[in-house]
Amino acid sequence: MLAAAGATELYCGLVPPDWRGRFQSISANRRPSGNLASYADLAEAVRSAHAHAAALSLVLNAQHYAAAQIEAAEEIAGRFADLGGDALIVSDLGLVERLATRFPALRVHVSSVATCRNAAAARLCQARGARRLILPRDVTLAEATAIAEEVPDIEIEAFVLNDGCIFEEGACHTIHLPGQLGGPICLDRYRFRHRRRDGGELSARLAARLQENDEAYERWLWYRFSCGFSTTPEGLPFGPCGLCALPALRRGRVAAVKIAGREAPTARKLASVRMVRSVLDRVCAGADAAAVRAFATRLRPSEAHCATGHMCYYPEVLRAEAC
Amino acid sequence: MSFSELAVTATHAVDLAWAAGGPAERERHWLRIHGDAALAAWLAGLQPTHLHFGSEFCEHLLPAERVLREALRRVEEAGLRFVLLTPVASPDVLARLHGLLPMLPAGTEVVANDWGVAHELHTRFPALLPVAGRVLCRMTKDPRLHPGWAGRCGHGLAAPTMRALFERLGILRLELDMPVFADDGALEGLPLPAGVHLPCVYVAKGRMCRAGGLSMKGPERFAVGRRCRKECLRLAAEASRPGRDDACRTTQLGNTLFSRHSDAMAQALRRAADAGRIARLVVAGEPL
Repeated sequence: MLAAAGATELYCGLVPPDWRGRFQSISANRRPSGNLASYADLAEAVRSAHAHAAALSLVLNAQHYAAAQIEAAEEIAGRFADLGGDALIVSDLGLVERLATRFPALRVHVSSVATCRNAAAARLCQARGARRLILPRDVTLAEATAIAEEVPDIEIEAFVLNDGCIFEEGACHTIHLPGQLGGPICLDRYRFRHRRRDGGELSARLAARLQENDEAYERWLWYRFSCGFSTTPEGLPFGPCGLCALPALRRGRVAAVKIAGREAPTARKLASVRMVRSVLDRVCAGADAAAVRAFATRLRPSEAHCATGHMCYYPEVLRAEAC
Repeated sequence: MSFSELAVTATHAVDLAWAAGGPAERERHWLRIHGDAALAAWLAGLQPTHLHFGSEFCEHLLPAERVLREALRRVEEAGLRFVLLTPVASPDVLARLHGLLPMLPAGTEVVANDWGVAHELHTRFPALLPVAGRVLCRMTKDPRLHPGWAGRCGHGLAAPTMRALFERLGILRLELDMPVFADDGALEGLPLPAGVHLPCVYVAKGRMCRAGGLSMKGPERFAVGRRCRKECLRLAAEASRPGRDDACRTTQLGNTLFSRHSDAMAQALRRAADAGRIARLVVAGEPL
């Protein structure tokens, strides 16, 4: 379905049946759910992707792998290679070189969780055998395209839709807890009490400004978390979006764009792919940035949300338009 | 204690005169900074040896060349050794580092919290000594966890793949936080000498900055790449979860969430220090 809707690459996760027992860890990657549970499922995913002319990537993107987990991660990669898989998405830079060397039939893509967002890091990834660097969410268009231009020997991928993070994913050393324990730390019900670091009193004026800032931050959070995880009646997702930036990303030699949210329901993924594909087709057909933006903001429609800039992965597109 | 090094962190050129004082003066200093009498009494017995200067977490706090020059002068006057702290690097940070790194004397340690910075140090500044910082030395440090999660809070630093990467990048030291569920085996088996931070662990850092939004309006208020007035140098926020019994106190400072060591972590740290598993204590030199 996703390939038929216009996705040319798909990615998935796998937690082998014995992983939890061996490591007392609920996942072999960054996500506790949304994973395939067996190699038979993985084989079917490879077959189905290839039958629809799509490539399939497998994530090995835990924040880090303990010494005892390295061999198990290699085993997963080896089985994926045997099944004819296409690429591994890897976050642990130590593991990148090991996998690139041992499984030359597989491409290695460095995950956004590696937090590599400069040309030197891209060069390091390329030197360790990676073929693609997936930039983290929090980069500017200028940064993404500068890295792509400066290190042309590695493909650059950037986020385009769904699932914002508050902290940098690779620099967030927390667990997405079950909801009853608080959920992701950035969504947990923390209360904040502002204070001066020198121990002095907050002036009434500063306290009022801090309160206004907190209210603005809460509004921004709502956008960052997919406008309250809402969709249009047709199922098109609100929330973090870089559709208006596609002309600049393409012009800047960014090789691929990523729709986040492999834990999401299939309907949401399908709607997301259709949205991105419809905009990308216009970009590839030569539509200018203004026409692309007009089309993208009418898709949901979401003009009012878009005008805030808080849904934007790359809000500088609004600044560029104002100029 | 069998370790011999005590580092103090700073984000701007601080007065270091206290460091040359005796134990009583140092105890007063640490009590004023951290408000913990037991910690102050312990640290008072240690003569500071290093100043870790700069920022591990924020690109806006990377010092300007003039500020770095002043910090180097003060460190020399105080008889300390200088260590430069560097954050996760945008292309702009990398460009600024190309101006800062040549100012450092050969043999200066540079704490890299970005693989690109570590790569640059190794390939273009071989006279400097790269250290893998807390952002690169990952471990789960969620202050909300109860002991049932302890099995998920280890690190992967001893993995052969990480050892090989450290070796390839010429990394000779590590900087870590205390594990959230530290026991007497904590910090055993590390592949390189480690500096351990106290009295807080860093939990999560963003590029978005909540406090930084204070002086901004419009679409890019909480976006990356915007201007910064360094509100975090003046303001912090205590973060609490009503109805929860978290063992650690949590503080947001700029783009970063910190968690104060629990009593159990503080005790484990001292035992690890006494057992010689810590090469350097790295103490926050400013109150959070």
